[in-house]
Amino acid sequence: MSATTLASRPKREWKRPKIGSVLQHAYIWFWLALFVLPFVVTILRSLEDPDGGRSFAAYSTVYSSFWSYLRLSIEMTVLTIAINLLIGIPAAYAIVRHPIPGKRLILSVLNLALYTPGAVMGISLAITYAFLFHIPHSYTGLIAAYVVGTYPLMLVPIIVALRDLPTMYEEAARTLGANRLQSFFRVELPLLGPGISAGILLTFVIVFNEFLVTLFIAGPGTTTAALRVYGLTRTGFLPSTAAVAAVMQFVSFLVVLTFFKAFGSRYLKGTYLI
Amino acid sequence: MSRVRLVDITKRYGPTVAVDRVNADIAEGEFVTLLGPSGCGKTTTLRMVAGLVEPSEGKIFFDDQVVNNVPTHRRNIGLAFQSHALFPHQSVAKNIAFGLSVKRRPKREIEQRVTEMLEMIELQGYESRMPAQLSGGQQQRVALARMLATDPRVLLFDEPLSALDRNLRDSLKYSILALQRRTRKTAIYVTHDQSEAFAISDRIFVMNNGRVEQAGTQLDIYLRPSTEFVANFVGDNNALPGTVLKVQPDAEGQQRASVQTGSVTLSAFAPAGVGVGDRVLAFVRPENIEVLGDGAGRDEPGVVEGTVEQIVFEGPSIRLTVDADGTPLKVTVGGVERLTLLDAGQRRLRLRLREVSLVRASAVG
Repeated sequence: MSATTLASRPKREWKRPKIGSVLQHAYIWFWLALFVLPFVVTILRSLEDPDGGRSFAAYSTVYSSFWSYLRLSIEMTVLTIAINLLIGIPAAYAIVRHPIPGKRLILSVLNLALYTPGAVMGISLAITYAFLFHIPHSYTGLIAAYVVGTYPLMLVPIIVALRDLPTMYEEAARTLGANRLQSFFRVELPLLGPGISAGILLTFVIVFNEFLVTLFIAGPGTTTAALRVYGLTRTGFLPSTAAVAAVMQFVSFLVVLTFFKAFGSRYLKGTYLI
Repeated sequence: MSRVRLVDITKRYGPTVAVDRVNADIAEGEFVTLLGPSGCGKTTTLRMVAGLVEPSEGKIFFDDQVVNNVPTHRRNIGLAFQSHALFPHQSVAKNIAFGLSVKRRPKREIEQRVTEMLEMIELQGYESRMPAQLSGGQQQRVALARMLATDPRVLLFDEPLSALDRNLRDSLKYSILALQRRTRKTAIYVTHDQSEAFAISDRIFVMNNGRVEQAGTQLDIYLRPSTEFVANFVGDNNALPGTVLKVQPDAEGQQRASVQTGSVTLSAFAPAGVGVGDRVLAFVRPENIEVLGDGAGRDEPGVVEGTVEQIVFEGPSIRLTVDADGTPLKVTVGGVERLTLLDAGQRRLRLRLREVSLVRASAVG
């Protein structure tokens, strides 16, 4: 190497970070660690082996006794999502594409469920089901409660997506010979995908983990996974209980992560979760 | 390929009348343009033909069939939008195939048609591109191919070129015309751009405030505007208020009128219904005003004198603003002689007004 080459190579400098920026980062990491701590501890507890040391022994309960509760939760969540979609999509069309008197009022009323404390919802529903409909602790009652509680979370993202969808796509489809259904399924639905997925995500997260209202109106035949976890903790915090909780956590986390990877956060704005 | 007839088509939005008793008879294979400023009702009229808007009154005929109650997807039309409206979630091939696929045509037929269409718009090999990957011109061409793939009987165009730049617009408009000629389909085209309308139409309907002011060929509209609006909207024009002194046929049997405007008498083509004593507006196009040499044309009818106030060299022409004793006249001179006028400022010129057309002065103002 000649002297000129050496001289012309730029020196790599390590810039001393400012003390302010170090503190900012440390602050954020501190609180992140604090938030994540409970989950980490739960996972650690779930990995404890009865003979000391670590293993996945505790997770066998998940397959054996916990599986039926998990399945019930998933089943009820999927059913709620389906009902929300069935009502929500036409409702969004009505609100966005057609003049309806009292739109604002209707939307406010529909959002009420989001701002009602869980215990209040629970008590009201328990009384209504027991004394008005005479069906305390029923599967249908629970589903109905879930739908009412999460419906606005399905409706709002779809409304946002529909508002963003220019009418010219439907019109183009119609001029090309597509009837209303064909236009909807082939053109509008795919373009509304992100909004609908946001609604599905929010409904899933809420219903899968729902505990408070469920506590009031669930019965022996309708014990959801969340409720079961609570029941298990009455007898102490065994590794098997921790395992079950960790699995539920993992399922929710996976669903949320998948959604954000696919669609970002645009369609979750306007709902109270973001 | 259908004949399209609009009979007393009207559209009201509350108290506003967007389209006011529009009548049109468009022959099979004819290329007709609805020309007018924004808000004149041309797009609304087009959308009524498409079935996207329901007329408040009137009937629309495709051949002998009333189509008012036929929904858009059964009218067998094609509509080209201003912003191409290609489905963003589908490839070029799927977009073009859309119309055929909703009709459940066999896969082989669809594939063949897509290939044909891509050849026609010269985008072979672009099957799997997504609309977002195409340029504006390419997108519009794919939109045209998509529209033609279903072999519609009427082609509708809603200002398809307005979003494109000048050069693209110029080349694409001829492509559209070529496609229409090749397929011999009836076409209705909406634009506010006069040169676009003139370049491609068989006939032009000039619209204003929901009404058709005049319908005719380019020559009709340009040389014989029938209303003040058409005279001013299409090209540039000078308007001279005057009164009709005489109406008599000329050597070829055409009715000509003598009009007194200010201190000068003009000879003009007399449209039907114009009689002696009528108040009229005499329109003279800037390019039809001849600059006379010294000594020529003295005391001839149709000749005025004026002082040049302003000169603008536009390149192929020179634009003069002449004060003809109180009346401002715009004069355009082309050709080699324009160069002799570059120093005409404040000079007195003698001008001969030719190709004068008349419009009845409206009763109001």
